[in-house]
Amino acid sequence: MKFQISAVSLSLLASALLFPNKSAAVPSYSRQTGLACSSCHYAPPELNAFGRKFKLEGYTFATKPEVSEDKEDRNSGLHLLEAFPLSFVFDTSFTSTKAPQSSTQNGNFEFPQAVSLFLAGAWGSHVGSFVQVTYDAQADHFSWDNTDIRAAGTNGKLFGKPLIYGLTFNNNPTVEDLWNSTPAWGFPFVSSNVAPGPSAGAVINGGLAQDVAGVGGYAMWNDHLYFAGTIYRSEHLGATQPNDGTCCGFNIRGMAPYWRLAYQTSSESNNFEIGTYGMHMKSTPGAITGLEDGYTDWAADFQFDHTIPQWKNDVLSIRGTYIRENSSLVASFTNGAADLVGHHLNTVQGEAEYHFGNRVSTTAGLFSVTGTADPTLYPTGPVTGNLNGSPASRGYILSVAWWPQQNIGLTAQYTGYTRFNGGSTSYDAAGRNADGNNSIYLMARFVF
Amino acid sequence: MKRIVLGLAMLALGAAAFPSCLAAQSDAAGLFKSKCVLCHAEDGSGNSPSGKALKAKDLRSPETQTKSDAELAEVISKGRNKMPAFAQKLKPDQIQQLVAYVRQLAKK
Repeated sequence: MKFQISAVSLSLLASALLFPNKSAAVPSYSRQTGLACSSCHYAPPELNAFGRKFKLEGYTFATKPEVSEDKEDRNSGLHLLEAFPLSFVFDTSFTSTKAPQSSTQNGNFEFPQAVSLFLAGAWGSHVGSFVQVTYDAQADHFSWDNTDIRAAGTNGKLFGKPLIYGLTFNNNPTVEDLWNSTPAWGFPFVSSNVAPGPSAGAVINGGLAQDVAGVGGYAMWNDHLYFAGTIYRSEHLGATQPNDGTCCGFNIRGMAPYWRLAYQTSSESNNFEIGTYGMHMKSTPGAITGLEDGYTDWAADFQFDHTIPQWKNDVLSIRGTYIRENSSLVASFTNGAADLVGHHLNTVQGEAEYHFGNRVSTTAGLFSVTGTADPTLYPTGPVTGNLNGSPASRGYILSVAWWPQQNIGLTAQYTGYTRFNGGSTSYDAAGRNADGNNSIYLMARFVF
Repeated sequence: MKRIVLGLAMLALGAAAFPSCLAAQSDAAGLFKSKCVLCHAEDGSGNSPSGKALKAKDLRSPETQTKSDAELAEVISKGRNKMPAFAQKLKPDQIQQLVAYVRQLAKK
């Protein structure tokens, strides 16, 4: 049985997944802790060392009143925040591409582009959440977004050194991660949902976001060594339950493990992290039985944050990640959805960012995707098609964000392509050049 | 004989107070762990990645230790700079326990 997703939806989906809007400065955390956003963030959603610790400890640190009763004998305790941990984010945006998409109006104003509600805060003394529900203007409905519910223990010891550990229930590989060098919370932090984006992306790079459910564990030892592991199953929200697989291109067979190992070190002015992450998945497109496609993603990342005391404690951040995906598309090949069984995909992303306090940040980023050419897997087509079946795309992102208040952000972002879906000129065989998808994106974010 | 009786009485009083001293210290240690370690580290030095991010004070330092108990209690209650206020979260006797615990940090 052939199972294909239309090229247009695939490209938009890939664009949204490769460059999704990421909302993670959550006012309910601020209300719970009594701390301003700048205590946890350089500029949202980027976490500083304190913000990473807050997340590590289960989003539970609080200085505000709670309804509480201690556990005693056979009676359970209660620690419930008096303030309901609800937050609201409103994004409005303007997008213009260098070349208009055929038969559509260029210069697109979305009011809103997206609205998110968050249930984010401590649920008890050891349990907390980041739960997001987002209204998308294109889909015109709310849908479940990034979710991370965790239970943390903060007083552990291992070989005499402090150990923080926890359980996580989440719906997106790398959403539990502490750094901004992995896909869920990586750059770019905002992006257009109407500008064309590259069609190819690794499954760990947003391909399973909000389409899986996972349970995992994590631990930070001696403030240096971080480990996380989660196992995922498909969870197709909005589709028939139990899952019959017909809705969707990815149906995990068995369980898909995700792993993460990172080492961090810090000094008075520096924080440095280097790590690896990855996942393995067997999946059947459009079904829950039969032949399988296999994906194995291996990745490396780093993040360096340098505070400059001589320059009013401005911060220079440098981040990067490389993802290598090897896939064996036995099911897709047999179904006629791919010309080859063996594929690989290489993704490289890196950026340098300068924070002028927490008010202004400027970022320059580069990205590149290369891999196995497959004309059936990456077909031709106007705007979203691929040249000769090549998934290769390459480009840069320049971004300036201004936060006149810590809960109001204004961003101007330019994305440029030197290669798009396999080509620089007429990549879609219909005369569209890669730089025709260059875009100017202006966004205003209001957070309460 | 009187000295022996007096000594035994003092011993008895001390023994009666000892569990509550231990309990108070344990409560204070628990409070410090749950409310303060995030920024000030287990030893009070502030020498952790999160502590450095917020430039948390070294609680063992003369700068902190030369403050009076009232001053320390006020900082805990009302906050200062990046440090949040804990007045709504902690009772006055809990704040006093923490002040005493901070004093102990310098002796370790």
